[in-house]
Amino acid sequence: MKNLKQAWYIALKDLKIFVQDRAALFFSIIFPFLFIILFNSLFSGVGWEDDRITLHVTTQEPEGGISYQIIAAIETKDEEALSPGDPIIIWDKDYEADHQAVLDGKLDGFLNFPASFTQSLMSGASTGLEIYADAGATNTRAALQGLSGAITSQINADVAIIKASAQLLAQSGASPEEIQTAVQQIQTDLFSGAAAAKSYLSFEVVKVGNVEAQNASNWVIPGYLVMFVFMAAATSAPEIVKERKNNTLERLFSTSVKRESILGGIYSGIAFKGLIQIIIFWVFGILVFHVNVGLSPLAIIILSLLMVIMSSAFAIMLATLANSIRGASSLAVITSLLLAPLGGCWWPGFLYPEWLQNISKITPHAWATDAFNKLMVFGADFGDVVPSIIALLVFAVIFSGIAVWKFRISDR
Amino acid sequence: MADDFVVVKDLHKSFKDFKAVNGVSFTIAKGEVFGLLGPNGAGKTTTIRMLSTVLEADSGDITIGGYSVKKNAEAVRTLIGVCPQELALYEDLSALDNMVFFGHMSGLEGKAAHDQAMKNLKLMGLEDRAKGKIAKYSGGMKRRINLAVALMGNPKLLFLDEPTVGIDPQSRNNIFENIKALQKQGLTVLYTTHYMEEADRLCQRVAVMDGGKIIAMDTPYNLKKKIGPPDKTTLEDVFLNLTGRSLRD
Repeated sequence: MKNLKQAWYIALKDLKIFVQDRAALFFSIIFPFLFIILFNSLFSGVGWEDDRITLHVTTQEPEGGISYQIIAAIETKDEEALSPGDPIIIWDKDYEADHQAVLDGKLDGFLNFPASFTQSLMSGASTGLEIYADAGATNTRAALQGLSGAITSQINADVAIIKASAQLLAQSGASPEEIQTAVQQIQTDLFSGAAAAKSYLSFEVVKVGNVEAQNASNWVIPGYLVMFVFMAAATSAPEIVKERKNNTLERLFSTSVKRESILGGIYSGIAFKGLIQIIIFWVFGILVFHVNVGLSPLAIIILSLLMVIMSSAFAIMLATLANSIRGASSLAVITSLLLAPLGGCWWPGFLYPEWLQNISKITPHAWATDAFNKLMVFGADFGDVVPSIIALLVFAVIFSGIAVWKFRISDR
Repeated sequence: MADDFVVVKDLHKSFKDFKAVNGVSFTIAKGEVFGLLGPNGAGKTTTIRMLSTVLEADSGDITIGGYSVKKNAEAVRTLIGVCPQELALYEDLSALDNMVFFGHMSGLEGKAAHDQAMKNLKLMGLEDRAKGKIAKYSGGMKRRINLAVALMGNPKLLFLDEPTVGIDPQSRNNIFENIKALQKQGLTVLYTTHYMEEADRLCQRVAVMDGGKIIAMDTPYNLKKKIGPPDKTTLEDVFLNLTGRSLRD
């Protein structure tokens, strides 16, 4: 009990020093949020902004052909009225100009109705739509193929309606003139006006899991949480070395404080700072940046706590390995700035090539950010991040083991 | 002797091949101010570190207040206060916070720690600066706080390792006056210093160490008498006579 109380007083003392140190507060709490705001604004929308594709359509038919009615129906008249994902369709009047533009590399591609389109359609002969596309413009080519496929299907369906109507009229004893008039009327209705105005392309979004479209904060905040919790802890290492150098640790020891209490107190002091950080990170993250904690808030809490535990152990280990205050400072800064980008704190680790992703697994940062990304970006559940939780535990045990083994109260 | 509060017998400590303390024996009576003098590297601080339980002796026995340092270090720690050569303080905390913190470490609870901190600050003439950060203190003030911290927890034996290094005469005088006052209250003191006039003024007995051994031990008067008329001889003369004039770095 006495040992716990002494450890508690040591932790409170360290916390008091931290709270009174404005620079430390700024770099541990305010500075990370400046980073988050900056990178949040830089990355917001990247990867999920609505970047519309533009499709050009031409016809070589003389005026009055069915293609005129179809193009007039699908042409984009008001961009503001488009739904998310709808392409902008532009009616280019000059086939030759578009053709030359594709050859010159000025236009990715276009869809063309051939000169015999209506005539072939009405006579029952085979006809087709023409796609001219640059070999490298795969997206445009795919979109034009989709558009032509949709038009073709629609026309086939419309022609079937016309043929069936003509047969029905013939069976009911209508004269050829009456049938001709009726077919023309049906044709007009189908290829123009209200019927033709309906979209030739439609899509349905199928949601997998409950995760909505991404907010940049969902990976920016966890990344910087991992980085700054680790950094704030690591930069405590020089303070521990300083205490060893100016003999405050030895003084504590001579006032009947056991080594375990000193170690526990220092450890708890660093961990308290980390706890303050993660509470502020998550409260601001949820309330201000509207981060989505995904399907398992419990996993988020466990991962955050493990980051604090692991980082605190790392700080003490670092202090035991360093022989001078300057050495500890350098090691703290170098490890923090090296491990953060390698571990995917600055940008998502899943963007790295596979070999770099494999190397990054030697850092606790990578396991932590990977788990946060899975939970908050990819809709993973608790079970999916168990390997990361175990990995962070292993790091914490290794760092703690070295810290306990090598911790000393004096360099003399 | 029955009144001996500290008994040190044949103490040895080596660091690799270097014998820092080599067969040191002495006693300190209860309420005595005992001076440990010697040039740099003589083994004074190593001896104090072994007595204050932070460093284990290779061999030899130390008994403080009847408790063996080897067998019952915990009990010994409740009896001692250490004022190290370095300013072992938290510079980012106030003097009061430092005192209260070390009071807690010595086993004092809330109000008792605060009250004793204020009492010791008053003793050092620093009660008006209690809430000032140590970092803003002058060298003399820091030295006085360093001593005041050592008094937290009401120790029976005080180790003062060069407590007056680099301070102004007023601060030094304050420390002297306090040591004398504490001695009158029954406090036992082990005092190391390079300033011979301090030892002459404060200590009932002094031991001169060199090369890890005690080469002389007696009252200042008797030591002076051995090399000349005591009223015309200084302790520094004794010291130089015993340890020589070669530089020790």
